[in-house]
Amino acid sequence: MNKRADRFLVVGFLTILFSLLALFIILPSRTFSDTENRKLHQLPQMTWDKIWSKTFSSQAETYFTDQFPYRESWVWAKSILEQSRLQQENNGIYRGKDGYLLEKFGEPDKEKLQQYAGAIKEFSEKNPDAAMTFLLAPTSIGIYAERLPWMANSYPQSKVNSYIGGILGESLTYIDGFDFLTPAASKEIYYRTDHHWTTYGAYLAYRAYCERMGWEPLSKDDFDVKTVSDSFLGSYHTRGQFFGVQPDTIQAYVPKNLVPVQMTIVDTGEVSSSLYKPEFLLKKDKYSYFLGGVHALVTIKSQVDATQKKMDKLLVIKDSYAHSVIPFLAQNVSQIDVIDIRYYNGSISEYMKANGIKNVLLLFNTTTFVNGNEILKLKY
Amino acid sequence: MVFSSLLFLFGFLPIVLLLYYCSPRRIRNVILLITSLFFYAWGEPVYIVIMLFSTLTDYRFGLLLSRPSMPDRQRKWVVAFSIFVNISLLGFFKYADFLIGNINAVLGTDIPLTNLPLPIGISFYTFQSMSYIIDIYRGTAKAQRSWLDFATFVALFPQLVAGPIVHYSTVSEQIRHRTVSVELFAQGVRRFTIGLAKKVLLANNIGFLWTTISASDIQTLPAATAWLGIIAFAFQIYFDFSGYSDMAIGLGLMFGFRFNENFNSPYMAQSITDFWRRWHISLSSWFRDYVYIPLGGNRRGSWLQFRNILVVWLLTGIWHGASWNFLLWGLYFGILLIIEKWIGLRFLQRLPKWMRHVYAGILVLFGWVLFAFEQLTDVTAYLQAMVGGNGGPLWNQDSVYLLYTNAVLLVILTIACKPAKLRLQQARPILQLCGYGALWFMSIAYLVDATFNPFLYFRF
Repeated sequence: MNKRADRFLVVGFLTILFSLLALFIILPSRTFSDTENRKLHQLPQMTWDKIWSKTFSSQAETYFTDQFPYRESWVWAKSILEQSRLQQENNGIYRGKDGYLLEKFGEPDKEKLQQYAGAIKEFSEKNPDAAMTFLLAPTSIGIYAERLPWMANSYPQSKVNSYIGGILGESLTYIDGFDFLTPAASKEIYYRTDHHWTTYGAYLAYRAYCERMGWEPLSKDDFDVKTVSDSFLGSYHTRGQFFGVQPDTIQAYVPKNLVPVQMTIVDTGEVSSSLYKPEFLLKKDKYSYFLGGVHALVTIKSQVDATQKKMDKLLVIKDSYAHSVIPFLAQNVSQIDVIDIRYYNGSISEYMKANGIKNVLLLFNTTTFVNGNEILKLKY
Repeated sequence: MVFSSLLFLFGFLPIVLLLYYCSPRRIRNVILLITSLFFYAWGEPVYIVIMLFSTLTDYRFGLLLSRPSMPDRQRKWVVAFSIFVNISLLGFFKYADFLIGNINAVLGTDIPLTNLPLPIGISFYTFQSMSYIIDIYRGTAKAQRSWLDFATFVALFPQLVAGPIVHYSTVSEQIRHRTVSVELFAQGVRRFTIGLAKKVLLANNIGFLWTTISASDIQTLPAATAWLGIIAFAFQIYFDFSGYSDMAIGLGLMFGFRFNENFNSPYMAQSITDFWRRWHISLSSWFRDYVYIPLGGNRRGSWLQFRNILVVWLLTGIWHGASWNFLLWGLYFGILLIIEKWIGLRFLQRLPKWMRHVYAGILVLFGWVLFAFEQLTDVTAYLQAMVGGNGGPLWNQDSVYLLYTNAVLLVILTIACKPAKLRLQQARPILQLCGYGALWFMSIAYLVDATFNPFLYFRF
């Protein structure tokens, strides 16, 4: 009896080891992971330099794990095991109530906040003839704290936003996202499965900006609201890998009074006549429908007619929350230059001088703002 | 490369097994040595030289000691010199910066730090080499004639990185003559699987709880969370370390080696004396055999015995890391052991069993606080939080959340602390296959997930 068990075990063990090794060798190397939205590591080159500095061994290990047979299925299995042990979070994502996935938000480092806000303040003082607005939008956990799992706790983003507001003082116009999002909290202003706001949330941001600038914003009736996708499983879903999550819908607000636009992605030189890229709706990364995803520098020219036009030139310094806001702004502003500070490496002050820019909108969500020291690039 | 990495499990291990079992017996040690050196060089391409140096010198010293004509005085010098070489290596790489830092702090000097990384496994292989030399001196082992066989003993990859510290006398026979059988190999598979599951499923996951709690503000930590945190740490360090030892012992069995045990359900201890008989046995027995007993042990009266206990436990403490908190941790246990020897044990025996468990458990937990934080200010803040002395609430919302989301895991961990009578081993073959298979399946899932790294800002 025991002998049989021993033989079973040895054979089983060797089968697991060798069959996974064989599968790893046989299965073709994949270059891209849809779920993870990144390039997968390939077999590293072996050089003496790399061997001595241990880069070869660490690259080889990443290559092996990246190309591990049935990678996605293992990740999915782990998520099921985690949920079955009552764990309410996975990879930093909470499984909240009403189908909302929420990203953990811990207490940020006050010193860093001071640095980041200081950089913005300095930037505004360095360019005194430009009118600047800073819009800081909370992410879904900031507004939907009551949708957290039972007893789960999150550091209030509202505290961060007012702290930043306090530091900035009167140095520029500050719009705290809580002011216009909290009253609309009962509506769908955030995706349930992604870290972005919905088009409606973006519309509210546009309206708040117009009001602060003293403009009459377009009303919701000026748009036809179209559902362009109902199968959006966003970044929170990707990270959390929870099962039984309902996909989101993506809406486009199509203006009834259509304005011709021309968008130039300066990074690649690509020019198009639409602010939307429907081809992304067929991919995993559906939010890139807006503006075609992240680029260092994009310029948008729109032929706004005189009745709607409020401004000639606007520079938007932003993270991806701005992508769904910019189509609204393009209804009122004839040229919008969009810089993603995380990828743009020139001096922004120089850029403003060279292009005669007098109006700036800084738009970030609280999580990116707190975690990214790229904002310090404003100093250059 | 660690045992709990996918590349080791599905790359290195199958290839080594294949090479080993396909080659004739007489070259199997060479295969083991070459693959072990590859295993070491994978993580330490430069420092492998140090390991080979240590091996070569002790091999020569061993041969020297075995010359029958050598007078005892000279033999003592050889042993002393060998110990000096090993301790210098260990001292230079492990303790130089700690020493320099303290000298700078006390004397206000500005000696630059060496900033050298610690060579992997150096704390283990220097101790093993020393045990070899001392065993030969004492005559409990014979010097190894072949350098190849001696190098295989030191570099043997299953125990090279994190022990157990194998005494030369334990395996001296096995290096030349070892039997392999399906039974032994299956036993190795069982042991390895259990170790892998302990590390990947238990230690890593409870480790997240400890990371969360120790990263939060200790000054305002509620007592309940502080206790939960240190219990999590206690589980993490035990299942991590004993899991690694299990994997090492299991791998040893697969190649025909029988290493000594390293843990014996330490959290079932009924006193601190008992705890140290069950925790990291290969290290405590090393210190017992090579420091405590040579110093006179308990044979020269109470005072000298107390001194010897303190010396051994200060050394044990500092062995764990070059930092004051480890020294303090050793001192803490040294003092507790002295108290137990002096009065405690007689008193303890009158208590009911459950109270003895609670007594040992609480003292061990307080010890882990010393172990977990390098900064003494953090230690005091954490201890204060545990006794509710920081003015905060006894518990809050976070305590409840962390407790219920880890409740299932905590129950499993508690059960796993009891000595398993290896019920699975006597189960029907098919059940065994399913049981161990499930552990593998879950471990792989967690290992792959740990490398899961979604890229959220979509640009390449």
